[in-house]
Amino acid sequence: MIPQQFEYSAPKTLDEALGLLAEGAKPLAGGMSLIPMMKLRLAAPEHLVDLGRIKDLNYIREDGSSLRIGATATHHQVESSALVRGKCPLLAETVSNIGDMQVRNMGTIGGSVAHADPAADYPAALQALEAKVVLKGSNAERTVAANDFFVDMFTTALEPGEIVREVIVPVDGDGTGTNYQKVVQPASGFAIVGIAARVRKSGGKITLARIGVTGLSNRAFRATAAEKALEGKAGSVAEIQAAAAVVAQGIEANADLHASADYRRHLAVIYAAKAITAALGRIA
Amino acid sequence: MKISGSYVLPLPPEEAYKRLQDPKVLAAAMPGCEELVKIGEDEYSMKMKMAMASLSGAFDGKVRITEQSPPNSFKLAVEGTGKIGFMKGQGVLTFTAKDQGTEVSYEGDVQVGGTIAAVGQRLIDATSKMMIKRFFDKVAS
Amino acid sequence: MATTTITKTEKLVGKRIRRREDPRLITGTATYVDDIKMPGMYYAAILRSPYAAAKIRSIDISKAAALKGVHAVFIGKDTENAGAVPCGASLPGLRVPHHNLLALDRVYLVGHPVAVVVATDRYIARDGCDLIEVDYEPTEAVADPEKAIAPGAPAVHPQWPDNTGFTFHQEGGDVAKAFAEADVIVKQRIVSQRLIPNSMETRGVVADWKAADRSMTLYTSTQAPHLVRSLVAQILGIEENRFRVVAPEVGGGFGAKIQTYAEEILMAFISRKIGKPVKWIESRRENFLCTIHGRGHVDFYEIAAKRDGTITGIKLKIIQDLGAYYTVLTPAIPTLSVLMMPGLYRTPNISADIVGAFTNCTPTDAYRGAGRPEATHGIERMVDMVAAELKMDPAEIRLKNFIRNEEFPFPTATGLVYDTGDYAAPLKKAMEMASYDKLRKEQVEARKQGRFMGIGLCAYGEICAFGPSPATPAGGWESATVKIEPSGQVTVLTGISPHGQGEETTFAQITADELGVGIDDVLVCHGDTALVPYGIGTFGSRSTAVGGTALYYALQELKDKIKKFGAMLLESDDIALANGQCTCNKTGKSIGVKSIAAAAYRAMKLPPGTGPGLVATHFWEPSNFTFPFGAHLVVTEVDAETGDVAIKRYIAVDDCGNILNPLIVDGQVHGGVAQGIGQALWEQAVYDDNGQLVTGEFMDYTMPRAHMMPWIESAHTTTPTPVNPLGVKGVGEAGTIGASPAVVNSVVDALSPLGVRHLDMPLTPEKLWKVISSGRTA
Repeated sequence: MIPQQFEYSAPKTLDEALGLLAEGAKPLAGGMSLIPMMKLRLAAPEHLVDLGRIKDLNYIREDGSSLRIGATATHHQVESSALVRGKCPLLAETVSNIGDMQVRNMGTIGGSVAHADPAADYPAALQALEAKVVLKGSNAERTVAANDFFVDMFTTALEPGEIVREVIVPVDGDGTGTNYQKVVQPASGFAIVGIAARVRKSGGKITLARIGVTGLSNRAFRATAAEKALEGKAGSVAEIQAAAAVVAQGIEANADLHASADYRRHLAVIYAAKAITAALGRIA
Repeated sequence: MKISGSYVLPLPPEEAYKRLQDPKVLAAAMPGCEELVKIGEDEYSMKMKMAMASLSGAFDGKVRITEQSPPNSFKLAVEGTGKIGFMKGQGVLTFTAKDQGTEVSYEGDVQVGGTIAAVGQRLIDATSKMMIKRFFDKVAS
Repeated sequence: MATTTITKTEKLVGKRIRRREDPRLITGTATYVDDIKMPGMYYAAILRSPYAAAKIRSIDISKAAALKGVHAVFIGKDTENAGAVPCGASLPGLRVPHHNLLALDRVYLVGHPVAVVVATDRYIARDGCDLIEVDYEPTEAVADPEKAIAPGAPAVHPQWPDNTGFTFHQEGGDVAKAFAEADVIVKQRIVSQRLIPNSMETRGVVADWKAADRSMTLYTSTQAPHLVRSLVAQILGIEENRFRVVAPEVGGGFGAKIQTYAEEILMAFISRKIGKPVKWIESRRENFLCTIHGRGHVDFYEIAAKRDGTITGIKLKIIQDLGAYYTVLTPAIPTLSVLMMPGLYRTPNISADIVGAFTNCTPTDAYRGAGRPEATHGIERMVDMVAAELKMDPAEIRLKNFIRNEEFPFPTATGLVYDTGDYAAPLKKAMEMASYDKLRKEQVEARKQGRFMGIGLCAYGEICAFGPSPATPAGGWESATVKIEPSGQVTVLTGISPHGQGEETTFAQITADELGVGIDDVLVCHGDTALVPYGIGTFGSRSTAVGGTALYYALQELKDKIKKFGAMLLESDDIALANGQCTCNKTGKSIGVKSIAAAAYRAMKLPPGTGPGLVATHFWEPSNFTFPFGAHLVVTEVDAETGDVAIKRYIAVDDCGNILNPLIVDGQVHGGVAQGIGQALWEQAVYDDNGQLVTGEFMDYTMPRAHMMPWIESAHTTTPTPVNPLGVKGVGEAGTIGASPAVVNSVVDALSPLGVRHLDMPLTPEKLWKVISSGRTA
């Protein structure tokens, strides 16, 4: 459980960090994924740049109809932030399901998002929220939609030398209800299946349905078939079941020791129905 | 672990068959492959650097092509050993004409050992699928 | 439940007293092996095979040896003549693979140690391992015990291509007649899956050889310091009286630290070679691979019964997954299953066969229950199946077949003599606590609603307090020394080696009660062979039953001497010793134990035929094992959509004889139940066909966590044993033994409307979902 030798820098400014990254160093945020890999010698970066001292990266603030969350905001900070709980409850609820308390004290939104583990919780919520991810390199900054950011298993739109600087989520207000349902893999705490549902109703009809699914496939995806099956409907039990039934349509499900592809798809349907029902129930 | 699937290449079957035996194509298409050096009839030594997420490891190994039955099928075997573990994959590739191109179906198995086997269980299925897809994407381009 | 505050003259035995061990444990001031630092100490890291079976073509250590900070690198040929990992069990016809400390020309399991790098710090030692180049030629491996003994399997050890380590047969009564005359015969294959013990503290060793004294000191995380000492001293040719083994604080053992491991011998060997202390600490990943695994049974049961529910005969075939080589008790563990195969039932006709199968996997050995959970799981599942076949209530069939109270001591068909028992009492109590009849009515209603509610019973009996020496591999007695110092404080030296069991507290309670001193005046020492006389160690729920009895007798000897001094000082023969005071019955004059101690050492005057000092040592040999028993009752509900199991109620009624400290007994029951539920629902060591341990980290091996556990409603009945004067039977393993059958019986009961009659552990949600889905479409 001993990593290979490495250099360690803890710059105080973002520019300094980006400079080091441009030279090939690897960023370190909470370390909850990277350090265990290093201890098993599955990863051996030669130079780690700890982003934790950069004050400019740790914030949660309101900006018009959005919340902007700095990359090194920890899961605990997001979970317990009055701003997030009040204005983007789906994010707070999802984050509270990550790992355990110790992991949440260290893990960060930027780190989790950049790592893009196919069974991570954040990506499901970010998909359902149609969030945006702000990427920054030495030269430029750009904003990518969540659906374009999560490319594949552990693969994102990040280019070498870039880090996630910020995540932007919408403030929905009244009329929108959300819920996150997770089937926990009891050994690792990752999601066998995780469903984030976000629904809006107006005049008795569902006007917006966004469903983010993690754990099922190589990346967290938007269950667009299920979304379309809900929009325009009243949200009866039968309509919810029908939408949930297609939540995994067209998706090739993963299989491992803990859940076969069939069981995973089955759970996705069950828990999608639960998430949609709970989200509808929360519409003020 | 059993693997199977298929991919459509925009080439006629004879072309597809030849291309998938060309060491230059294989070297370029196999994810992380740094070089393929011929060491015998239809046998190559391989140096591969795997990088996925933070996981990275160097592998030394072999690629072997056997059971040739042009233009219908052949068996491709890949094995590699590194500090983080070892892997062995083999599959029979079958070529059938489809529309304007060729459907390449594969069926075989993948075994892993060492550290990656012990800690990467949940990812082996997904990673294998992903690597195979990347391989075929590269071959097609 | 709160703990008790004691005033001085009350008896302490039987009270819920807080543990003496806890303050140092919870303030982080206890010393574990990795806390031991010695001047000039080197660190060792072990390179291990990634293959389950391979020939070693060559090993190149040159780069590792050249690394700055590396002091030495050892490989197989360096340790070839240093001995082998010991096995203490002996069975007729046992084939014992010679397991060198380091692999020579081949490896036969993943984790097989191949080289040791010794360096100035643990980081360089680990880096050194990466620089060793081993050329392996992988060969075929076999990881499944049934496949291993089938024709055509690859040979784990080339000299034994049938992969059979031993066969064993035992019979009692007339099983052929019982089966010929049976009204029903029920057959079932039952698996007790391979488990990883997972102590909180992994293993670790510090070895310190001092050439000038010819002395070896070995700090090791062990349950049996004297056994380690004897074995390693013998193997390495070191004088036993100059060999000191210290078990410092040990963070859990559960049976997986009874063995003498390769690393203990290796580190002693290396320290002697380099003349410096050397430390090795096991990583968690190494622990998964290189510390023994538990269970590993494929059992084939056949039960013969009469229509009225009388069980007349039991046939059992065990295929034991041995692993690739033996550790100290490996082949003996399944024989314990055979001994307990009749459980609590009177059945006189049994027939048992064991086949020990070599596999390219980690060796199996004792793990909490060691053979008895497997036996109890088997018989309790079978009894439920016979009940279902005969349409009898599962409680009714058990009550009918229990050995009756008046039949004790009861000679079993397997050659044991059960000491005492009142088997109906815990079962009836559990049913009362559960409101059993009401539960069955609730179940009828639940079934109408399409819910899968289950009620599971387990009536278990177990054999512990090892034991009569002729029946154990290294002796089964125990020793205790009690010293009263001149100032009146008491020191107890015990040969047992607790690692969480709490004897520093319970032995102090016994001593305080017997001598009438305050509990804070009693210090209990253990685990250091330089300090305590030879003892056998802590395992098999023996510490209090055997070790406590040795203490009891030592205390009686001491009390006799105290009375002699008391009589002399009080100038009277008519004295009584009670509550720490010697009192003359005629005059009422008294003198305290503290003053007697002072006088005994000052020796101004001595009683006739008596020397100075107040020290007594007693070695006690038990005449029998003890046989605790109990009943667990579990109510479950299986989610029809997901297959998730919810434990709605967990009731445990355990009879461990007299209870010395209910707080500690609760802890043992809770912990034992956690491990039993873990086996029933979550845990399994999974190997792929190539012998790779795919549940290689906590990412995939599901450890029970506190939040996953049900509330345990715990009660006791008390049936003391006559085997020892304390009336104590042992409770360390009982919880584990009772739990898995109760949980599985409950879930099978829940799904019985679908026609389910048996399910193998672990009962994962997907497994149950498949059963439910197929049941519904059938």
